[in-house]
Amino acid sequence: MNRFVSQCLLLFICSAAGFFVPGCSKKETPVVFAVGGAPAEIDFWQTTVKTFEERSGIAVEVLRQPTDTDQRRQNLVTALRASRPTPDLFLMDVAWIAQFAASGWLEPLAPFLENSPLSRNDFFEPVIRTAATYNGTLLALPVYVDAGLLYYRKDLLETYGFSNPPELWDELVAMAHTIIDRESRKGNELTGFVWQGAQYEGLVCTFLEFAGSNGGGLVLSGSSPIVATERNRQALAFMHDVVHREKISPVNTGIDMKEEEVRRAFQRGSAIFERNWPYAYTLHEAEDSPVKGKTGIAALPRFREGTSVSTLGGWHIGLSRFSRHKTRAFSLIVRLLSFEVQKASALEVGWNPGRIDVYRDPTIMEHLPHLLTLRDVFAHAVSRPNVPWYSYLSNVLQRRLNAALTGSMPVDEALNKCEEELRVIVEQYSMRK
Amino acid sequence: MPKRVSRASSDTAWLAVLLAPALLLPAALILMPALGAFVNGCMQDVTFLPRRWAGLANYARLAHDPAFHQSLRFTVLFIAVSVPLELGCGLLLALLMQAPSPLRGMLRALVLVPWAIPSAIAGRVWELVYNYTWGPANYVIKLTGATAVNWLGSAEGAFLALVIADLWKTAPFVAIILLAGLSAIPERLYRQAEVDGASFIRRFYAITLPLLRPVLVVAVLFRAIDALRIFDLIYILTAGGPGGATASLSLLGYLYFVGGDFGYGSAISTFIFLIALLTALTVVRLGRFGKSLQ
Repeated sequence: MNRFVSQCLLLFICSAAGFFVPGCSKKETPVVFAVGGAPAEIDFWQTTVKTFEERSGIAVEVLRQPTDTDQRRQNLVTALRASRPTPDLFLMDVAWIAQFAASGWLEPLAPFLENSPLSRNDFFEPVIRTAATYNGTLLALPVYVDAGLLYYRKDLLETYGFSNPPELWDELVAMAHTIIDRESRKGNELTGFVWQGAQYEGLVCTFLEFAGSNGGGLVLSGSSPIVATERNRQALAFMHDVVHREKISPVNTGIDMKEEEVRRAFQRGSAIFERNWPYAYTLHEAEDSPVKGKTGIAALPRFREGTSVSTLGGWHIGLSRFSRHKTRAFSLIVRLLSFEVQKASALEVGWNPGRIDVYRDPTIMEHLPHLLTLRDVFAHAVSRPNVPWYSYLSNVLQRRLNAALTGSMPVDEALNKCEEELRVIVEQYSMRK
Repeated sequence: MPKRVSRASSDTAWLAVLLAPALLLPAALILMPALGAFVNGCMQDVTFLPRRWAGLANYARLAHDPAFHQSLRFTVLFIAVSVPLELGCGLLLALLMQAPSPLRGMLRALVLVPWAIPSAIAGRVWELVYNYTWGPANYVIKLTGATAVNWLGSAEGAFLALVIADLWKTAPFVAIILLAGLSAIPERLYRQAEVDGASFIRRFYAITLPLLRPVLVVAVLFRAIDALRIFDLIYILTAGGPGGATASLSLLGYLYFVGGDFGYGSAISTFIFLIALLTALTVVRLGRFGKSLQ
């Protein structure tokens, strides 16, 4: 018995020593870079980081996060909330930046930029101004940018004599009806328009596009938020009607239509129009895709009295306030946002670089000619409200908009309730200091 | 006499020493976190606002938060509908599993399968089953000539979908607990009742049900509290939709944690804890009441 206890003790001491010894060795602790996403994206980061390590001699550890966006965020919130020194660097969805910034978790980047080859003019100006800057301080840099786009079936539009993609939402509806009717006579059942309507962040993005293209949107600048306006009502009613009245959008739009469901529906060849982020283009044009060579992209349509609006998406890189080696970490940022790496990210994983100069590169223009169209869309993309309590605001919008979309609440009532609840949220989180 | 007193008091001291670990453990594992959550709920603990004492402000906010009311209504309704159904089906399954038949062994093994599948995976499978266009659920409904049900798209459909999925997943658990209770009932009681001429139904009400009561109490307790804090199935199947109709209290609390308001999130957790405590006390009390009547 005694021997057993002493053996156990020995084992414990050895394992404890094994745990602490690496920390005591002379080797510097690595810069920890948290990334998530699809396997191909993680692979891309790992190769990029490896090259950086070889060239600079700075050790980097790639910390793999969950794929799900919400879980990636929760993962970071937990570490930062506890003032943990790692991860040093992390990727953030644009929608989180304000919360992270207001929580004091992000290191201001301007002092680092001064002595580096990077400059804020390398990136899309509105992205830097409306998303990466909080209260006048630059706290993040765009790794890749996203904005909502209209995908359409070039072949079908041509067959039925439509030479251009729709510029107005009404035109989109009319085209969809014509094509669905004619095709169904041939026994080909088509869906008109697929877009993100499930109760999640994507619904807020699409709503801001529909509303914005009608001259509406969400106003937060005054003392209380304004959302129950006539223009927003028209936009939300339109979203409801394409599903329930016009029936050109699938009946499950409000239930399970997220990015991937939408992309798959279009890629199967069963939809004429699609609203999605730019990532879908590379996949639609893949070798085994049924819609390869038949996919067109354009700016999203608008209502008669509005202009086309795209919601800004994408991921930014941030440097933790609690990092113990900020200079080394920033040199990794410089590498990741270099022309070379940004170009490789476009060619290898299909991202749309945050740097503007990449879009004019000859190789890019040859291999990814559509990026030039995207450049214009990005330059005019609209940010979601840049407030720290955005996620609560979004929860309310998601819940109420989805209720209207699925028909469980009238459009007017949904917007009124929305405004009421938003007022409470704003009072709760902005007035008290 | 004095000798006996000192003997007794030293016994009490010993009792205290021997019981201490058993009392300290729950105190450390249950009481401390619960108290911690309560205290945290009294703070303005929002990542982007200064941390300060807020008294009962977060708890007061519960009273007029429409999202919280919606969640509370949903959660209570979910418990009220799912727990009795699970008990009924579980009892039926347990009786089937106990009845001597050549398939008994296989049945016992098969019944456990849904319970053994992780909720996350079960949720994904049910998501496919409920798919509006090509899911098996609507396929069967359309075969009967009825119109397809918009399972996850309407408040009622989503509620029903969750109850069915939860029933499938947890009725086996209830069945296993009840089976243990059934096996403990002496066979001779049934034989004597049979001799006295009691019918099957009479035997069920006079012997099975009363003797099963203690085990039933345990099953109700487990299920009621599990249903109260349901999260995984909802997170995957409906994410609280449509229009927040299926956002359970735990899901709501989670959303606040993710958004950075730990104070309000803690207030919601404390609320869940209090209801769980009340439920447990009520169920245990009811169970005892039944016993004393005998």
